[in-house]
Amino acid sequence: MDGILISNVRKDYRLGRNTVTIFSDLTMTIAPGDFVAIVGPSGSGKSTLLNLIGGIDRPDQGEIDFEHARLSRMSESALARWRAANVGFVFQFYNLMPMLTAEQNVELPLLLTSLSARQRRERVETLLSMLGLADRRRHLPSELSGGQQQRVGIARALASDPKLLLCDEPTGDLDRESADEVLTMLRILNTELGKTIVMVTHDDAAARSARRQLRLDKGKFIEAEAA
Amino acid sequence: MHRLTFIRRGMTRRPVRSALLITSIAIAFFIYLVLTSFERGFLGGEVESERLVVSNKIGDALTLPISYSDKILALPGIASATYMARSRATYRTPSNFLGLTAVEPDSFPAFIGDEYDISAETLARFRQTRNGVIVGRSIATQEGWVVGQKITLNTSSFFRADGSSDFEFEIAGILDGRKSADTHFVMARYDYINSERGVDRDTVSNFGVLPRSGAHADDVIKAVDTLFANSAYQTRTRTEAEFMRDFIAQFADIATIVRLVVGVAFVTILMIVANTMVFAIRERTKEIGLLKVLGFSRRFILGNVLAETFSLFAAGLALAVCLAYAAIILLREPLHTVVPDMSLAPATVLQAIGLSAVLAAATAVIPAYGAMRVPPHAALREK
Repeated sequence: MDGILISNVRKDYRLGRNTVTIFSDLTMTIAPGDFVAIVGPSGSGKSTLLNLIGGIDRPDQGEIDFEHARLSRMSESALARWRAANVGFVFQFYNLMPMLTAEQNVELPLLLTSLSARQRRERVETLLSMLGLADRRRHLPSELSGGQQQRVGIARALASDPKLLLCDEPTGDLDRESADEVLTMLRILNTELGKTIVMVTHDDAAARSARRQLRLDKGKFIEAEAA
Repeated sequence: MHRLTFIRRGMTRRPVRSALLITSIAIAFFIYLVLTSFERGFLGGEVESERLVVSNKIGDALTLPISYSDKILALPGIASATYMARSRATYRTPSNFLGLTAVEPDSFPAFIGDEYDISAETLARFRQTRNGVIVGRSIATQEGWVVGQKITLNTSSFFRADGSSDFEFEIAGILDGRKSADTHFVMARYDYINSERGVDRDTVSNFGVLPRSGAHADDVIKAVDTLFANSAYQTRTRTEAEFMRDFIAQFADIATIVRLVVGVAFVTILMIVANTMVFAIRERTKEIGLLKVLGFSRRFILGNVLAETFSLFAAGLALAVCLAYAAIILLREPLHTVVPDMSLAPATVLQAIGLSAVLAAATAVIPAYGAMRVPPHAALREK
């Protein structure tokens, strides 16, 4: 199928001599263009699931497919290429490079593409304008507010025009106003540009922004109400 | 943004730390460049290697019979030969040392070649005056000696039959050194010293040999040593450069001292730099994780870390070369008599470049490799 298919996935973590199973036999599908919010208590494995979908961690058992590509069978370098082409990541604490300006942070993923310097610059300008950051493009992250930094993070996630956006607590470090701006942005990206978005959050308001909410608890999914 | 911009931004993110690292590296290489130049100059980097010195095989302090002179001259491949007897001497006070060499007045000028400037007038007066000496400019200036002055030197190796070792000389002339050659010595006539002394008469410290043009030095060395292989006084023939190195090594192993100082400086500074680099790369684990998440390859990330480290070392080395060049110019005059030919040779700089590349790689590879191995999801959890 198109979209994301998670089949019978198991993930364990080793803590000293003990092995803790985060989830086992987890199965779910995410359709292309969907906007899914995953909620649940701390330690339920929400971020782990996001890492598995994004190909930055591997399941101990089961398969994860993205548009017929089986992530668990890819080599490290193939996964890196796949991530660069298909996935944009938005993090709770932005994870911007502190020594790079806003425009340089947005341009960073484009260094992996075959775009010319001019094409890269044009795309960065478009993205920063779209996110209302045109006048902040020469600013370092330390010179931006939390909301502005998160918008730079979103611009970076969109830079290589990925189909999938993975957001890990994107409003967790923001005040209500900035959080609302970011959520509005994500909704626009989903409805206007058709991006598939998977968002992990503790924030009920953020979860309600999604088309679909899934509660992950004790290794199982419980479908909550739709937005 | 070019990749180099990314690397440069990484280097300058903590300018004070980068500046201190560059300074540390510069100090290490400054010590290396200055001491290596000192060693090269001290060991006679510019000594003419075609000149050969024949010594007693057992040791340089032992003598050889003067009768060897004719036998050496009769060997094929030899253009000229001379002989000399060396002694340490003091002037006026027991601690005022100088070198005294008794030479054969007719054959010695050919052996010292063009390193010294001796006027025809000085040579003529030296040959006419039985107790005449030619004194170097450095010692003459130090002691205020003038031509015609009579001086008494106390020698440590030339003894009369009554056990005395004071010799009176008349200064026949002053010799100047070219190419900053050492001039802190006195040359007397061998025939005078030999006739006055009561012990070791008709013996010499060394023979100086100039191979004939086209003759191979190794062949001449072999011919001389083979000639006396079965005699009571076996010989050891070396190039003058080798002889000087061995001579100096009797007093101090300069090379070992230099290497020890350089080694200690390098190890200490390398530990500081390596520790700082480990810390700096550890600090970036999260960023390295982010780059992996964004899809950058391990090679790209490793390349960036190495490029940053190599750039720091290159900047430190460049600073060290400039400082060493200036320091050597400033030190050349004060150290003139000890190190007659101190200069920053291109070969020394090339060695430093090679060494800095090795040290940069050693400093960066292990912490960078460690950071590479952290899975991206774990790296992103770093504080």
